[in-house]
Amino acid sequence: MYKEVLTNSKSYRYLKGSIFLLVMIVCSNVFGQTELLFDAQKLCNEKKYEQAIPLLEKVIIDPTTKNDPASWHIRSYAYLQTYKQSGPANTAKIYMLDTAMSSAIKSIQLDTAKSYVENNNAFIKNGAATYYKISTILLQDSLNNVKSEELFLKYKQYTTVVNPSFDFKQKDIEYYNATGGFFADMYMKHNFNQKYGDVAKTALLKVLDIDNKNISANINLGILYYNQGATLMQMMDYDVDLAQLDVIQENAKKLFKQSLPFMIKVYELDPKAERALESLQGIYSALLDEEKANEFKQKKEALKKQ
Amino acid sequence: MFLYNFTKLFDWPEKMKSGSFIIQIVGSNPSLTQELNKMATSKQVGNQKLEIKTTTAIDPSIKPHIIYLLNESSDLLKDASSKYKGNGTLIVTEKPGLAKQGAAINFVVADNKQAFEYSKNNAVKGGLKTGDGLNGLAIVVD
Repeated sequence: MYKEVLTNSKSYRYLKGSIFLLVMIVCSNVFGQTELLFDAQKLCNEKKYEQAIPLLEKVIIDPTTKNDPASWHIRSYAYLQTYKQSGPANTAKIYMLDTAMSSAIKSIQLDTAKSYVENNNAFIKNGAATYYKISTILLQDSLNNVKSEELFLKYKQYTTVVNPSFDFKQKDIEYYNATGGFFADMYMKHNFNQKYGDVAKTALLKVLDIDNKNISANINLGILYYNQGATLMQMMDYDVDLAQLDVIQENAKKLFKQSLPFMIKVYELDPKAERALESLQGIYSALLDEEKANEFKQKKEALKKQ
Repeated sequence: MFLYNFTKLFDWPEKMKSGSFIIQIVGSNPSLTQELNKMATSKQVGNQKLEIKTTTAIDPSIKPHIIYLLNESSDLLKDASSKYKGNGTLIVTEKPGLAKQGAAINFVVADNKQAFEYSKNNAVKGGLKTGDGLNGLAIVVD
C-alpha cells in the first residue's frame, strides 16, 4: 500500500531522479578516482614519481579508493622513489620516507588478499635500510645524534614489521659503538667539550648493557673517563688555591677510578692488548700509584719484545 | 701548582725580596721542569720574576727561594738543611718521612692524591715566616 502510494506520487518521481543523479555522480567519481590511480601508476612507470604524488593524495582520501591497498601501495612506492630522487641521504626530505613507510603499512593492513605483501615488505625493508644509512651519516655530517638515534629507532621499528624476530643485538652494538667512538673523538678534538663526552658515554654504556665484554666500548669508555680526569687537571689555573686544588684532584681521581674497571676488563679479555696496557699504565700513574703503573709499563715492554 | 701556592703562603726575608724568585730543582724530572718553566713565563712572585734552575747537586752559587730535592736527591737533605738554615730557603722533598728530617714541605701520596707533609719548625729554621694557613691543608708533622 505504502509502496503503491509512493510509486504514484510526485515525490517518488523526484526521489527517483535524485537517486539516479547520485548514482551517476558516484559512478563518475569511482571512475574518476580509479582513473587517477591508474594515471598515478602510469606516471610511476614513467619514473615521474613527484607528479604522481598529487594524484595519489586525492586517491587516498576518496571514499571509493581510500580502502584499496593498491592506493597506499602505489603511494608508498611514489614517495620512496621521490625521496631517492631527492639525493642520497636527504635529511630535509625525510618526511617522504616516513610517508612511504606509513603508506606501505596501511597497504598491508588493508591487503586482506595479500596481493601486495611482497612488494610492501620490500619497500619497508628498503626504507628501513635507508633510515639506518642516514642515521650513520647524520652522526658524522651534522653531529646530530638525537636525530640520528631517532632514525636508527625507525630502522628498528620498520625492520621489525618485516621481520618480527630480527635480533638487533649486533646492529645496536654497531650503531652505539659508532656513536660512542665518534663522539669520544669529537670530545678530544673540540677542546674536551663535555657535551660530546656525555653523548659518547651514554652510547658506549648502551653497548656494554648489551655486551659487557665488548672491547671497543670498554676501551673507549676507559679512555673517555681518563681524558676527562686529565682535562680537569690540565685546565687548572696556576692561581688555584690549595683547597680548590684538593677538590679538583678529588674529582679527577674519581674519573680516573671510573676509567679503571673498563681498562681492566679489556686487559682481562685480552692480556696482550697493547692499548689496554698503555692506558692502565697511564691511569695508575694518574692515580699516583707508581708501583702499578710500572707493572703495566713492564708488561707493555715485555709484549713489545715478543 | 703546589709550588706556586707555597710562594704565597710563606713570607721570605727582606734580603730575598729582590732579584728573581728562584726555584731550584735538584735531580731530573723533565716534565716538572718543563711545567715550571711554562709557569715562569706567565707568573711572578710579587714583583719578582720566577726563575727555574735545574741542578744535580746543591750549588753554592745559587741562593734559591725554594729548593726541591727530587726523590733521587733525597740524600742531600741533611746538607741542604744545614746550608740553608736561616737563609730564607724553603726545602721541599718527596720521600716519605723527610718532613721529620729537615724538609719544610714533603710531598706524599695520600688516597691516590698528591698531598704534602708540613713542618712549620723546619720552615722557621729555614728563615721563613708563615701563618697557620697551611695547617688545614697539609699533613702537619709537628
